[in-house]
This record gives sequence, structure tokens and C-alpha cells, in this order.
Amino acid sequence: MSAALDDLRRLDAAPRPDAALDRRQAIEQDFRREQQAQRRRGRQRQLLLGVAGVIAFLLAWEIAPRVVPGVNPKMFPPPSQVAGVLVDMTFRTGEIWPHVGASLLRALWGFLLGATFGVAAGVLTGRNATLRQITDPVLHGLRAIPAIAIVPLAIVWFGLGDLSKVMLIAWGAFFPVWVNTFIGVRDIPVVYLRSAAALGASPFATMVQVALPAALPFVFAGLRQATAVSFVVLVAAELVGAEQGLGFLISFAHLVFRVDIMFVGLLYLGAIGFLADQLFAWLLHRFFPWYGADARR
Amino acid sequence: MNAPATAAPPAVRVRDASKLYASSGGELNWAMTGVDLDIGDGEFVCAIGPSGCGKTTLLNTIAGFIQPTTGRVTAGGRRVSGPGADRGVVFQEYALFPWLTARSNIEFGLKMQGLDAKARRRRADELLALTGLSHAATRYPFELSGGMRQRIAVARALATQPKVLLMDEPFAAIDALTRTSLQRELLRIWQELKLSVFFITHNIEEAVFLAQRVVVMSAHPGRIREIVDIDLPYPRDRADPAFGELYARIGAAFAQTDEASA
Repeated sequence: MSAALDDLRRLDAAPRPDAALDRRQAIEQDFRREQQAQRRRGRQRQLLLGVAGVIAFLLAWEIAPRVVPGVNPKMFPPPSQVAGVLVDMTFRTGEIWPHVGASLLRALWGFLLGATFGVAAGVLTGRNATLRQITDPVLHGLRAIPAIAIVPLAIVWFGLGDLSKVMLIAWGAFFPVWVNTFIGVRDIPVVYLRSAAALGASPFATMVQVALPAALPFVFAGLRQATAVSFVVLVAAELVGAEQGLGFLISFAHLVFRVDIMFVGLLYLGAIGFLADQLFAWLLHRFFPWYGADARR
Repeated sequence: MNAPATAAPPAVRVRDASKLYASSGGELNWAMTGVDLDIGDGEFVCAIGPSGCGKTTLLNTIAGFIQPTTGRVTAGGRRVSGPGADRGVVFQEYALFPWLTARSNIEFGLKMQGLDAKARRRRADELLALTGLSHAATRYPFELSGGMRQRIAVARALATQPKVLLMDEPFAAIDALTRTSLQRELLRIWQELKLSVFFITHNIEEAVFLAQRVVVMSAHPGRIREIVDIDLPYPRDRADPAFGELYARIGAAFAQTDEASA
């Protein structure tokens, strides 16, 4: 009975509010579906074109040594040959891993050492004018020296082992971290410092709990720059003298004239650098959710 | 509504305070001259004036962020020599720590006092409830609207239980509708906690709505022009003719200061 009445009402009441609602929801659903499809098509297109670009590049590389006269395939090995060596060294003999491990460990320790001192020096010189004025000429003078130029000196002081590599990387990583942290800490918005002071924060608490986090966007920019520098210095140090490591592998391949092995070394260096950067961005997003939003405002 | 002449010192006493600044070109400028002001216990005082009238300089002096060139400032009878948790400060905008959640922002002052985590959390939750933002405790400032941010900023300033709340144009960047509700909330909190409030604004209506006394300041050099008592009962009605009268009176004082500084 009541159901019948409902039906009747539905028939005579022309613009029923929930009919309008249903209609709107249907339109919204269609709209959303269309938008998602559009976005998906966009992503597919981007992926497809990216893959096509890579394939075209590899094809050109594969074909060029065969068709261009006077090119020695030993000097310019095609991707098929490099891929074979890469798979061999990675899976069959596994001889790449000690080199990768040695390089990664050196880069990691050097980076950690340099970044730690860089952050500490940046916060201290950013907060303390006296300290800044004392250290400014020395630090900026040292910073002007290209890190690679120190390689021979480091070998004289710390030998050919891991220590000299770690020290060199630390040296190279220190300066970008220090400079960026320093700028970040020096230019903290004054309201943060005043807020902290009005809430009773001591100078030390202000340094660690306000100045450092407020400068984090700058610190991260410095750390990211330092990862790139770390790899440059790492390879430079390993090229000069080492018994292991990707830089050593490349220079050894040079001695035995195996350009394909050189390529394998380069590929690994590129992949490691890329992954390190991605890891960095991920960690940033994971542990500092406010970071991007704050930089945007 | 002046502080009664008893032995108890007023919440804030400013005597003959002046501040001289040098510009980067070496030019000297009196940001504030000969300011005398008492803020009584539980009193709500607004300062209003054109830019350059020294209202923010006065607030910064009371907060202890800057030292006056001449004169003295006391809070609760003790000379102000620097910022302290007995005087809470709310800034115009973007003063919340963006790396801390709303709750952690509120807890910051308590952490500095060495309170343990449990007590901090209890107090922060009380303040979140007081400002009606319990649901936003774990959000970061960038996830909050302007009005919510300023509520959290008030809660943060109140966490250490200051006697005096100093507010530097806290609602200037907030849209008009939200501002009205923030003003009502502020009055409720002021009455509930029996605070002394010193509130800077450039909005005459806001001053008349909130304050028991309005300090009208003028520029070049910055000084107090007039102090207007607002003897209207709370809650105030903007449509009340008496409200309009006081608005007009302060507007006239304002116009005079404009002529004087032009």
C-alpha cells in the first residue's frame, strides 16, 4: 500500500529532490570515469613514447657500428654485446658485486661523515656570528678547491685503501651540505625564532628543535647535491688507485682494452646514482610530509 | 577599567618607552616615543593606528623581542629583559612550526619547560578542545585553513599558561566571516581564562568589538594619541548605536592622526 503510494508520488511530483540528486551523481560518476580514462591514456602515452625513445636509441647504437665504415665494434660495442657482458658479470660469474659493494660502502661512509660535519658546521655558523666570522675565510677558501684536485694528497696521507676514498668523499660532500645548511639557518623566518623564544626555548633547544628543522628544505638540497658530488669524487679516487670498486673496474677495463666492461661499469654507476636520488626523494616524502607543502607556500 | 590602585602591579606596565632605529642608510627614526601604558589584570586592550605608528614596536617591547632605547617595561612587576613563557605571543601568520603537527606545535612550550610526554599531551588535548580543533590534532599546518592555523597559534601561546597574551594583527589575513567567529572565540577564551590581552589591529570595528580600552596611535614619530574606553557590555552588538558612536569617535581620532602624519 505504502509502496504503491510512493510510486504514485514519484509519478506526479515532477522535480523530486532525490531524483535530481541521482541525476547529479550519475553525471559526476561519468565525469570522474572520463577523467580517469583521460589520465590513464596520458600516462600510457608517456610510457609508450619513453620506451620508444629508448628503443630507438639502442637500435641506432646497435646499427651504427655495423653500417658506418671505419668503426671498430671493439671500440664501440653495440648494446647486444654490452648486455651479454652485463648479464655475465651480474648473474653468471657475479664478479660485479664486490666492485659495487666496495664502491657503495665507500660512498656511504664518506657521505655520512661529510654530511654530519656539514650539517653541524652549517647550523653552528648559521646561528653564531662570531663563529661564522672566524671560519668564513678558511671554509670558503677550502671550498674553492675542486675536490678532485685533492686526490693525490689524500693518497699520500691516507694511502691507497678505503680510508683515503672515504676521506675524499667526506671532503667533497661536506661543502655543499655546509653552505646550504648555513644559508637555510641564517635565513630562518624571524617569527619561528620569536615563537620559540616566547615559548621559553633555550638557545640550544632553539638550534636543534627550531633552526635545524626550519632549515631542512635547504639541508636536503645540500644533501642531494652532496650525493652527486660523492659519486664524482668516488670514481675519481678509484680511477687513480684501488683494488676494487666500479671506478677501478673501468680503469682496469681500460688497461685490458675491454670497452664493453667499461660500459658495464658506467651503466652500474648511472643506475646507482639514479636509485640513490630516488631513494632520497622517497625518504623525504616518507619522513617529512610537510616538506613539499612548505616549500610551495 | 583602569587597574585599581592597589599594591598588586598591573599585568604590564610601560613607562616612557621609546625606540630609536637606524636605517641602512644611517638615517635615524623614532619608531615609538614616550609611551606610557598599563594593562590591568584580566584587561583587554587593543592598539590601533596607521603603519609606522609603533604599535608592533610596542608589542615587541612588551614581548621582550626588542629592548626600548629609553624607558622601562615590567610584566607582573618584573622587569622585561627578554621573551618569556609568562607572555604568550600570537603572530599575524605563518608562525606555527610547519614541521610539527597541530598537537606538537601546542606541546612545544611545554616540552621546553621539561614536562613529560603524558602531561604535555593531556594539556594539548585540553587546549585543542578549548579551541574546538580536537579533530585536527594530527594535521600539519599546511593541512589547516587560515582560521584553524590561528586557533592553533592561540592554543600554542596559551599552553604555558601565560598571564598576558600579546597578539599582533592575528586575524588580519583571515576572511571576514571566519574573523568574526574567531573574535567571538577569543572573547570566550579571554573571559574563561581571565587573561590580560594586548591586541594589535588596523581594523576599528575589530577594536571596538573586542577591547575594553582602545589605544589610538599615530606615526612620525610613533606615539599614543588617545586612549578610548569602550564601556559596552559583552557580548557586543555591532548594530548597537553606542557601538557606532564609538566606532565614529575612534575613526575621527584616526583621521586626526592621518592629518598629523601627512
